[in-house]
Amino acid sequence: MEGAQSGGNTYLIRPNYQHKFKPSVVKECIRDILREQLSGVLYDPDDIPVLSRSLADCIKGKLKDVGFDRYKLVVQVVIGEQRGEGVRMAARCFWDADTDNYAQDIFMNDSLFCVAAAFGIYYY
Amino acid sequence: MNLHCKWILYTLTAFDADDVFGIIKESVEGTMGGNIFQQNRVDQWTSNVVELCLSQLSKLGKPFKYIVTCIIMQRNGAGLQTASSCFWDDTTDGSCTFKWENESMHCIVTVFGLAI
Repeated sequence: MEGAQSGGNTYLIRPNYQHKFKPSVVKECIRDILREQLSGVLYDPDDIPVLSRSLADCIKGKLKDVGFDRYKLVVQVVIGEQRGEGVRMAARCFWDADTDNYAQDIFMNDSLFCVAAAFGIYYY
Repeated sequence: MNLHCKWILYTLTAFDADDVFGIIKESVEGTMGGNIFQQNRVDQWTSNVVELCLSQLSKLGKPFKYIVTCIIMQRNGAGLQTASSCFWDDTTDGSCTFKWENESMHCIVTVFGLAI
């Protein structure tokens, strides 16, 4: 965000098509990271806090590299143990539907499930 | 700008976690207080909680965009961990998480507020 301020205002209130937050691209990124980091992992109450934090940071880092300039990113990762319990997750957003968007992916194996959601908010 | 003026500007423009905490608490307790986990009603509860929170937040009239997420989980001894990582402006944006439980379920609501 400092770059936009120090480089002078650009007065862009809508992103170009190339720079728009594309849910399909982001979903693929999330899916690759979840598959790579969680395949074969068992739920362990001591490791999971660190793992979920590192997954969230990893996804955020990858999205920054993809190059969504002028987008603020929020990544939320939820990891739970599979014990047959019922779980429901919902999200609602109050934003500008023309510029802002989100992507999510779910990964499951026998021992855990993981939901990762990434939200992109345009910075005017 | 002296320190006092900066502090006033900060409190007027930054994300106010205490206000938001109160709003989430009311929404969750109003929707789910006294209920037992029922698979067929969970959808309705999550939608209600999130929509109630969002409508109260938009009534605050601040120049913020909000993301509200709600997780309801049945209590059967399983573990759950949530983590979030954000790329934003620390001086104006913030988040607030509220955890609630009763004998049959857990509820975790997170609100992210991003300044326009």
